[in-house]
Amino acid sequence: MTGFVLRRIGQALIALFGVSVVVFALVHLVPGDPIRAALGTRFDPEIYQVLLERSGLDQPLGVQFFDWLGRALTGDLGVSFRSGRAVTTELGDRLPATLLLAGGSLLVGLIIAIPAGIISAVRQGKPVDYAASTFAQVGVSVPDFWFGILLILLFSRTLGWLPPGGYVSLTEDPVEALQRLLLPAVTAGVVTGSILTRFVRSSVLEAMQADHVRLARAKGMPERYVLRHHVLRNAWIPVVTITGLQLATLLGGIVVVEVVFSWPGIGRLALDAVYGRDYPVLQGSVLVIAAGFLLINLLVDLLYGRLDPRIRS
Amino acid sequence: MRLRHRSTLTVVSLLALVATACGGGGGEDVDLGDSADPGAEDGADGGSDAEGGTLVAAIGGEPDQLDPHVTTSGFTFRVMENVYDTLVQPNDELEMEPALATEWETSDDLLTWTFQLREGVTFHDGSEFDAEDVVASLERIAEEGQNSFRLEAVEDFEASGDLEVTMTLSRPAPNLLAQLGAFKGMAIVSADDIESGDLNESPNGTGPFAFEGQSGGDSITLTANDDYWGEEGPHLDGIEFRIIPEETVKLTNLETGEVDWIDTVPPQNVAGLSGGDLTVESVPSNDYWYAAFNIEREPFDDPEVRRAIRQAVDIDAITEAARFDAATPNQTAIPESSVWYHEYAPFETDVDAAQTALDEAGVSGLSIDLMVTSEFPETITAAEVIASQLDEVGIDVQIRTEDFNTWLADQGEGEFDAFILGWLGNIDPDDFYYAQHHSEGVNNFHGFVDEEVDQLLDDGRQETDEDARKELYDQAAERIVDQVSYLYLYNPDLVQAWSSEVSGYSPRPDQATRFVTTRLG
Repeated sequence: MTGFVLRRIGQALIALFGVSVVVFALVHLVPGDPIRAALGTRFDPEIYQVLLERSGLDQPLGVQFFDWLGRALTGDLGVSFRSGRAVTTELGDRLPATLLLAGGSLLVGLIIAIPAGIISAVRQGKPVDYAASTFAQVGVSVPDFWFGILLILLFSRTLGWLPPGGYVSLTEDPVEALQRLLLPAVTAGVVTGSILTRFVRSSVLEAMQADHVRLARAKGMPERYVLRHHVLRNAWIPVVTITGLQLATLLGGIVVVEVVFSWPGIGRLALDAVYGRDYPVLQGSVLVIAAGFLLINLLVDLLYGRLDPRIRS
Repeated sequence: MRLRHRSTLTVVSLLALVATACGGGGGEDVDLGDSADPGAEDGADGGSDAEGGTLVAAIGGEPDQLDPHVTTSGFTFRVMENVYDTLVQPNDELEMEPALATEWETSDDLLTWTFQLREGVTFHDGSEFDAEDVVASLERIAEEGQNSFRLEAVEDFEASGDLEVTMTLSRPAPNLLAQLGAFKGMAIVSADDIESGDLNESPNGTGPFAFEGQSGGDSITLTANDDYWGEEGPHLDGIEFRIIPEETVKLTNLETGEVDWIDTVPPQNVAGLSGGDLTVESVPSNDYWYAAFNIEREPFDDPEVRRAIRQAVDIDAITEAARFDAATPNQTAIPESSVWYHEYAPFETDVDAAQTALDEAGVSGLSIDLMVTSEFPETITAAEVIASQLDEVGIDVQIRTEDFNTWLADQGEGEFDAFILGWLGNIDPDDFYYAQHHSEGVNNFHGFVDEEVDQLLDDGRQETDEDARKELYDQAAERIVDQVSYLYLYNPDLVQAWSSEVSGYSPRPDQATRFVTTRLG
């Protein structure tokens, strides 16, 4: 078991290195640079050159990369060109909001997907199955930008039930934090829930076809008992995988929801960094998101072992 | 200012007005008088009469640097306007009035300026303000960063007394006051903070509000400065600036009372907002938007072709589409509200004449690569209208929309046939014309070269008689318009909105967001 974990961590580090190289190359391929971004339209070639040299951006790319990598290995992700603050500070400021929104969205997604997926599998071909499938299709297709604005207009502007976005930390005021979390979590959670619903359904359906399930039924066991003890335990494994992937996606990929709901998450930080060509912040954000992704995958693999002892060997 | 509005509005540019002071030939005392001196009556104790309430103000993007000498972000200045002071500052008419300097005089040869500084002013950390702070701040601005051009005429800054600063100039500079008070990028910071490098993490000014803290990506909070030197304010206990990037959501935040004030209202929403509990006010701004053609490429090097294109477009229709009613079409740069305005509108839209001129110039089957940016959606709208108008004379306009950084890079490399953008926050005519249209101008990206314009703009930098100076800029403006160096489009209105609880605030043409006299409730 320890060997398994160590091997996976080793693979994760190699993957992180690869991600760093690719991101570094990509951001430098895009036209523009942070100095030009800072000077904006008041561009003056002389000042530009001075600032470029001072920032070290005039060095060869290879030198810049290994310089960055060397410091990153000691936990120093550099300083943001835009804000002048340490990248670790910028990320630390945003991490709690990111985790809260990702966790909330996943919870909403699971609350939707587990019952909807199971019921539509059990009632395959019945109206409730079609209803759930339609919901899943619509949920995946609706643009989250539009859906988020719609929720704000309805629940904040018209009904006045919930605040129109903004973030309050859980430690500061738990009740208000959850109130503010609800709309963005639903916006992102509906998409997640729609994707998960389809996986839960097909996974349960597949498990229901298994020989041991048919045997259990043939022995006359109650349907509810069969479902709980023979079907769902086996259906969980693929669902856990896809849930892990969805959580990883939520950690880095809900930029639009963050923008709509004025949510100070890592996605928006990374987006601003792209626009401002803020290389250190972008590299740091991607590194953290990638590390989160790999960590979740590792946890999922470990969870398999618990769910299905066969995988451990 | 540059236009980085959303993320970066470029820098606000400057002010002018100044020239009166030196106009009469030097040596005279230019104290604007006690009536204009906000601190005159109760001096250093005039300070705060905070009576309550924290104003929640929504801004559309995140400030980058908090160091006023380094940042170029318009969002940073919306906050820092209330934290820092400059030596002089623009009043409501954009004329310079005393701020940290109370009076000043110039030598007979106009090359030495002596400023008397306000007594009893303290920074927010409690340290005393004196001449060393002014010298350290201005030297820092002059040495590094994007505002050094404003102090380009000054050779030396000297603390000639505890509260006296002497500046030695290399040439007469009629717009020196306008440069010193242009915007808070010219802020006076504490010499100790420059030394310690704390300016970005913990801003420390002399203004009506002190920096309290920031939460990355979410908000910045200020508290009232009880020792503020001004005669009035601050009345509020503090201000919380909240970052709300999405326009519709920002409006909803105002409508639901989550925030008290928003920094901009999109033109298309103005009509829908008016009439409720909210106050919506607009003011003609000193900004202008324009199209420019790459004069280093054929056929745009031919002024006849540029004039033909100008004749083919209808700037009224462009303005209407891009800004609804919230702008004024203008064939020159400077808006009617400015003292530097010069009425000049030689062009009428005439498609037939344009077609004839193009034929005579031998232009046919022309395709134009017109570069716009998603950073400023109004440039895209304007481009679409221009494309349909130029289609009438057989010109095929290919609209290319870039993110702002790519746009800037392509502009710098000359990779365009034409582009659309704006300049924000200008006050002095030198700001409107020199960098853009002088052959040596640093922002002359479209390659305009004209000896007559160069001469007029050079003369304008040194002419100390205000009337004569205006005459020079009027001539320059006519020449620039005639040559279609820029194809000027419109001056936008600045539209802001706030709840009925808020009083004592008005939008300003230079976009400065000052809450010193603002009250809640």
